[in-house]
Amino acid sequence: MAAHCESGTLTALLNHKGFTISEPMIFGMGSALYFGYLSHTPNLNFPMFILRTKPGKLRKKVAKRLGIKFKSDKFRSTEKAERELDDLISKGIPVAVQVDLYYMDYIPEWERVHANIHFITIVGKEGDHYIVSDSYFPKLAKLHKDSLKKARFAKGYLAPKGFMYYIDSVPKSVDQKKIIIKAIKETINNMIGIQPPFIGIRGMRMFGRKVVGWPKLTRDIDHLSHEITKINIFLEDQGTGGAGFRYMYATFLRQAAPLFNNTELDVLSKKMMEIGDGWRNISYFAAKISKNRDLGPDRLSELSKMILGRADAEEAFYKELKQVVNRLK
Amino acid sequence: MKEKDAFVDYEPHQLLLYVEREDGTYGPMITGSHLSKNYIDDYFDKMEKLRISLLQQLKENVISPVEYYRIIHDFNVFELSSRAGVSIFKVKRHLKVKGFLKAKVSDLIKYAEVFDVPVSNLFQVITVEGRDNETKDGVPNENKYRVKQSKTQNPSLVITKFELNK
Repeated sequence: MAAHCESGTLTALLNHKGFTISEPMIFGMGSALYFGYLSHTPNLNFPMFILRTKPGKLRKKVAKRLGIKFKSDKFRSTEKAERELDDLISKGIPVAVQVDLYYMDYIPEWERVHANIHFITIVGKEGDHYIVSDSYFPKLAKLHKDSLKKARFAKGYLAPKGFMYYIDSVPKSVDQKKIIIKAIKETINNMIGIQPPFIGIRGMRMFGRKVVGWPKLTRDIDHLSHEITKINIFLEDQGTGGAGFRYMYATFLRQAAPLFNNTELDVLSKKMMEIGDGWRNISYFAAKISKNRDLGPDRLSELSKMILGRADAEEAFYKELKQVVNRLK
Repeated sequence: MKEKDAFVDYEPHQLLLYVEREDGTYGPMITGSHLSKNYIDDYFDKMEKLRISLLQQLKENVISPVEYYRIIHDFNVFELSSRAGVSIFKVKRHLKVKGFLKAKVSDLIKYAEVFDVPVSNLFQVITVEGRDNETKDGVPNENKYRVKQSKTQNPSLVITKFELNK
C-alpha cells in the first residue's frame, strides 16, 4: 500500500528497478504539496478543493529532477493498448496505467467514484485477469481485462486515453540536496508565492470564506451533508497519507533534515505534523456535523474559522521554511 | 499525528497514513478508515434516500432516466456529455422527459455504458416484492434474491435472471 496512488506507483516502480527511495521523498522532490479551491471548473458538479498538483506533474518533475527516463504512451486503439501492455508484462516489466477508479471492482463499492486520475501498477496476467498492485488496496488484486479496458479508456475530464508508463533507466547517483532545495522552493512558491487567488494559502482562505455559502448550492440537507463529508474524504481517505498530505510532507522534511545535518528542518517537520493535526480536526469535525445534519450557519461558520486558522498557520510555516531553505547548502 | 491516535480497527477499508511513532521517528502505518468505520451507515442512508426520492420523480414522470442516473453518478452535464460522446445540447434535452422520448437508441446505449448498466435499465426498475420503493441497487443486505444481468452481443439486449441465493 501507499499513501497516494501517483507517488506510490512511482516509488514502487523505482524500487523495483533498484533505485531505493521512500514515498514521502518522491512526494517532496516532486513538489506535489498544493492547495487549490476550484469552483468554476466546468466539469465539476460542485466546488472542490485539491491538495496535490495536477496528475502527471509529480512524475514529470521527479523524472526531470532525478534524471529518471520513462517510456510512456497513450493510445487511440484499445486493442493496441492491451497488446502493448501484455507484451511488457510478459517480459516481467511492471507497468503503471492511468485509470478511472470506478472500475476497480476489488475496492469496496462506496470508495469507487468516477475519477480519471487513479494510477495502478500492472504486474502480471492470469487468463483474462490482470494482477494489479493498487496503493489503496492492501494486497495484489485481480481485475478482469474488460474492466481494465473500460477504466483505461473512460472519457471525460482528464481522460486517461490508455496512458501507461514504465521506467526505462534510473541514474546511478543523484544530488539529493540540490533537488530537495529546488523542490521545497517550488512548494513555497505554490503556497505563498504569486499565484491566482484560488491557489495556495489564498485558495485556503477562499475555501474558508466560501464554505459558509455551500447551502445555497445544494439540493437539500442530505446533499449538503454529502458535500461536507467529502471534506473528510479529500483530507483523509483519498490517498493523502493523512491530513491532506501534510503528514507525508512532514515525513519528507524529517527525512531531508539529516542530509543537510540541519535541526531546523526537524523542527519544521514537527510543525508540519501539528498543522496536519489541525487539518485532521477539520476533517473529523466535518464528518461529525455532516452525520448529525448539524449544518446551520453557526456550525459552518465554525468550520470556516477552522479552515482560515489553518491558512494562517500554513502561511507562517512557509515563511519560516523559506528562511530556512535559503540557508541550506 | 501519534501512531496510537491513528489506529482504527476497520478491515474492509484500509489506508496508509504517515504518523509519528513512539520513538519520535515518522513513518507509514496501515490502518482502517475512520470515516468508513464511523460514518458509512450514514452514507448508505443518504444514497438510499436520494434513490427513493429520484425514483419517485421518475415514476411521476418528472425526470428522465438519464437525469436519474446522472444524479446518482454525480456527473454534471459537461462531464456526462464528454463521457458519453453525446453533445451537450442533446444531453440537456435527454435530461427532460419529453427529450428522452425522442432520444435515439444509439445515444441511450452510450449513456448506459457510462452509467455501467444495461440499456434496458433505462426503461425498467428491478426490485422485489415488499420493496417497491427501492431499486435493485438500493436493496441492502438482500440475502434471498440475486439479480444477474448479462450483456449479449446485441447491445440493446440484456438477459435478466432472478436467482435464489443458496
